[in-house]
Amino acid sequence: MTWIVRNLWLIPAFPALAAGLSALAKQRNRRMAASLAIGSMGLSFLLSLVAFVHVVRSGGHGETAKEVFNFPWFQYGGEWLKLGWMLDPLTAVMLVMVSFVGLLIFIYSTGYMSHDENFTRFFCFLSLFAAAMLGVVIANSLLLLFMCWELVGLTSYLLIGFWFHKPEAAAAAKKAFITTRIGDLAFLVGMVWLYSQTGSLLFYDQGSGCLEHSALAGLVAQTTCIGMAASTGIALLIFAGAVGKSGQVPLHVWLPDAMEGPTPVSALIHAATMVAAGVFLVARVYPLMAAHDGISLSSTSTTALQVVTWIGAITAVFAALIAVAQDDIKRILAYSTISQLGYMMIGLGVGGVAVGMFHLITHAFFKALLFLGAGSVIHGCHEEQDIRCMGGLKRFMPITFATYAVGMLALCGFPLFFSGFWSKDAILHAAQLWTISRVPFYLATFGALLTAFYMTRQMYYVFFGESRLARKRDSSHIADFGHHEHGITASVHESPAVMTMPLAILAMFAVLLGVIGTPAWPWFDSFLNGESATLHAAGFLEGGVLPVMILSSIVVFAGLGLGWWFYGSSPITSAESADALERLQPQVFRILRNKFYVDEIYDATFIRFNAWLSHVSDWFDRWVWNGAVWTVSHIVLGLSWLARSTDTYVVNPGFDEGCNAVTVGGRLLGRLQNGRTQNYLRLVGVAFAVLVAFLIWSGVR
Amino acid sequence: MITFNYLDLLHLVMPEVIVVIAALCVLSVDLIFLRGAGTRLRISVGAMLSLAGCAAAIVWILRAAQFASVLDGMLVVNPLAQRMQIAVLVLTILTILIFIGSTFTEHISEYLALILLATVSMMFLVTTQNLLVIFLSLELLSLSLYILTAFNKSSARSAEAALKYFLFGGISAAFLLFGFSLLYGLSNSTNLSSVAGSIQRPFLDPLLIVAIVMTMVGLGFKVAAVPFHFWAPDVYQGAPAPSAALIASASKVASFFILYQVMVIGLADAEGSSAWRGYVSGWVPLAAIVASVSMVLGNLVAILQTSVRRLLAYSAVAHAGYMLLGILSHTGQSLSALLYYSITYALTVLGAFGVVALVEGETGGDRLSDFAGLSRRAPLPSLCMLIFLLSLAGIPPLAGFFGKFYLFTTVMTSTPGTLGLLWLVILAVAMSAVSLYYYLKVLKFIYVTDPPTGAAPIRVSILKQVVLGLIALSVVLLGCAPNLLLRWL
Repeated sequence: MTWIVRNLWLIPAFPALAAGLSALAKQRNRRMAASLAIGSMGLSFLLSLVAFVHVVRSGGHGETAKEVFNFPWFQYGGEWLKLGWMLDPLTAVMLVMVSFVGLLIFIYSTGYMSHDENFTRFFCFLSLFAAAMLGVVIANSLLLLFMCWELVGLTSYLLIGFWFHKPEAAAAAKKAFITTRIGDLAFLVGMVWLYSQTGSLLFYDQGSGCLEHSALAGLVAQTTCIGMAASTGIALLIFAGAVGKSGQVPLHVWLPDAMEGPTPVSALIHAATMVAAGVFLVARVYPLMAAHDGISLSSTSTTALQVVTWIGAITAVFAALIAVAQDDIKRILAYSTISQLGYMMIGLGVGGVAVGMFHLITHAFFKALLFLGAGSVIHGCHEEQDIRCMGGLKRFMPITFATYAVGMLALCGFPLFFSGFWSKDAILHAAQLWTISRVPFYLATFGALLTAFYMTRQMYYVFFGESRLARKRDSSHIADFGHHEHGITASVHESPAVMTMPLAILAMFAVLLGVIGTPAWPWFDSFLNGESATLHAAGFLEGGVLPVMILSSIVVFAGLGLGWWFYGSSPITSAESADALERLQPQVFRILRNKFYVDEIYDATFIRFNAWLSHVSDWFDRWVWNGAVWTVSHIVLGLSWLARSTDTYVVNPGFDEGCNAVTVGGRLLGRLQNGRTQNYLRLVGVAFAVLVAFLIWSGVR
Repeated sequence: MITFNYLDLLHLVMPEVIVVIAALCVLSVDLIFLRGAGTRLRISVGAMLSLAGCAAAIVWILRAAQFASVLDGMLVVNPLAQRMQIAVLVLTILTILIFIGSTFTEHISEYLALILLATVSMMFLVTTQNLLVIFLSLELLSLSLYILTAFNKSSARSAEAALKYFLFGGISAAFLLFGFSLLYGLSNSTNLSSVAGSIQRPFLDPLLIVAIVMTMVGLGFKVAAVPFHFWAPDVYQGAPAPSAALIASASKVASFFILYQVMVIGLADAEGSSAWRGYVSGWVPLAAIVASVSMVLGNLVAILQTSVRRLLAYSAVAHAGYMLLGILSHTGQSLSALLYYSITYALTVLGAFGVVALVEGETGGDRLSDFAGLSRRAPLPSLCMLIFLLSLAGIPPLAGFFGKFYLFTTVMTSTPGTLGLLWLVILAVAMSAVSLYYYLKVLKFIYVTDPPTGAAPIRVSILKQVVLGLIALSVVLLGCAPNLLLRWL
């Protein structure tokens, strides 16, 4: 075992240490907190690179590529609870991605948050988040993964509610925490079930881990109440955790609201890393998801993977539809994130780990880029987030515009030159080959069309046409904002270099990353599967790759064209004028703008039921339990009153009597302690006699 | 007649010899060379010598693991006993560190020498399985502790507490000796294993019952279990803080260890059972009664206390109840669970007394109101106190939580297949919930209540901060990674 495998824990330890130190720091130590966070992240990134290089060079094959380090945590009864970490291609790729994107976003944050008075606290939370996320990635034990998973959820809560003085931010933080908790509960149940079945929560442990052959065979053979294999039940429960974390339907409602947090947080946590943790989790327990006995199944897809695919497909289209009608720059990106996470789930369901993970990695880069770009726009427009009030920013913010355009084209999947194209194409290709149903393929294609359309819409609203920034302000807040058009337009500015540099770097990766996953040189795929990749240009022509590529290109162009036709052909002039789509289909648009009324439905059902239940509980608490407690407390009070009176009127006079009769030494003692020591000793004697009598009596009986 | 090599014997008791020599050195250096020196210097020199002695003893023990049982079990050296000696020595070191800077006495060398002598007796106590040596070591320990309790000559409380402690200890020792003599009479041996061999009967004979209960009285006094706990509140309150800390920590650990030895080894075939609907007379039901009464009484009375030291005393009574559970379950894991619990408890309570001493030095009292607003006056000690009290209450991830968890688990699994001891575990868990109330009450005074007007920040010496911080850190660390300690036990 090499040095890096043994010391893999250092990677999350550095940011954790930074978080601890900056938690102790005073509020004004801004430089220290920022440099601690960035320095620790830089160290983690370097170590991640070492780990990555180690994995690439060792070039293991299949199962042997997994190097694990397990250690006993504590013993209870006859069993040892073990934790551990592992290094395999999946871990290595995630480590590099998380630490690199994290590092860039940390640097960006020093610019974005420079005016915030709680700068130190911000970096403390960010570092804690990074530590927990890296912990999720290296965990070789479902328990350790779960602990870090919860920590990640906690930091997400803290950071969404970072500006907790805004009521919406506080509400959004609570919503995120509670919604994901529903998924986590299922995750916990699944974990406990898994432990009771296999007796281990280590993934890989020299043949006795819960993802290894013997355990999986046992799980598959076991059928539960409704004829479902235990492996399927556990896999579905764990997937429910992923649904909560990754914002899949029906637990997606928290993610758009989470945009109340600072934009770097949205970029890091709610676009690039944490929300992808659900996808990572499915990829990590993929052997469990894909476990089948090989007899009863005609095809290779298990029930669990089918569920993953369907949820992913529904989410991909559902969120993309909503994104079409949103006006908040960050909310559009949030729904886009949900939709893309759906794609990743489809990729995992139909194509395996490599397909889903490739999209995860490329998406992390270009979505972080888009969010940071949006942050730059918001920063430049003085905290304006409504795209209807922007417009014409191309002139004022050239760098932001250029990088944003790269991110947008990558997200749409613009053919050949952008990473998003290749990763989305791999998913579409796998979906097309899926033998269970073609519907996910059609849904995914439709989603691609929508993606191109809503991103074009956003681009036109934000960067093209004339600036509408001042007009909206003047019409709505004349009293508050005395300055006129020139003042505001002139003060729209490009962001400082500390913010644009990360944008440029991310944009570069949004383009370049495509190279490692083309059909001609599927390096990423082979790397995750522990094979070695070879370059063969014929890859494009095999197995129906080319038709899918052409189809998806046509779809992208169609989406871009539609977007231009709706929003580009006639410039948007006023912030109040109706959306082009709204003029065409007002009813549909209203439904989409209101997000299919999911929040309202939840309000009317679960939340109302919950409120009713808490009323009932409150009533019980007030009248039933409180009454019981009150009764008991008064009985106790009565008893203690009785004891005190006995003490005062019966016991004490007795001692006074006794004290009068003792000798000089006794009188001395009596003065010191009122004779109570004798009483104590007498009590010991009595206790002795009682205990002996009891034991003898019960022994004879 | 057994022929015996006294050089070997000397070799086996070398750690004890080292500590005794250290005690003599402390006395002579102080009395011969430092008569006219200032108190600070005398404390520094004396403490350095004592610490060096303890450290040397630890190094000697660590040097080699030994197995020996000589003179009919009078001296039983094995790795476990050696680790217990190390634990006792470490706790002594911490006690001495807490003592540094105290001002309650002029007789520094005597005080330190007595602490070291008490340590020696504890070291003997954990390396013997012979009734006679157990009694002798206990007496040596008790006598040292009586004097240590009385050491604050300017305080009437201190003298009163010592007198009570002495009277109580005398009676208990009488019980213990009587019990031991009955055991000897029944078995014609003072070696614990031979005692166990000769008292096998189909049913318990009344004489044996009397012997068992008398032993329990004598040792119950040492561990402060109800109803033999009456001395504890007065002693915890009256004794100088380092003495109270020693009584509450090292002496507890050693006493519980020997209680386990006597009960589990010496009375191996008279255990009986206290399982629900499975009652059999023996020492286990006796321990169960004492344990449950201790848990209930200790926790309930602690609620009423307004003095932090008395509160700690009643909490000690409650904790003795929990630890008795570890003894009465007596399975393979019980001893390690009990020792983990007692050692982490000792560490925690030692730290708590360190903070109490600090506050007393500043405000002159240990009432709850003296702790008001401490977090603003001394942030680090307050944080340490927070960790100590939450650990005592058993809040994860601190050592106290894992100790309770492990202990209760071993009790639950000690009757495989049935849930016989579940009632005790339920009682214990319910009582720990109660205990949270009074620990939080102290913390409320420290963190929420405003400090008295005009109260200046408390100056805390670096050494004291480091010691308290180290103890707090180890409490957190042992809770997060219990295996650090468990693999030794």
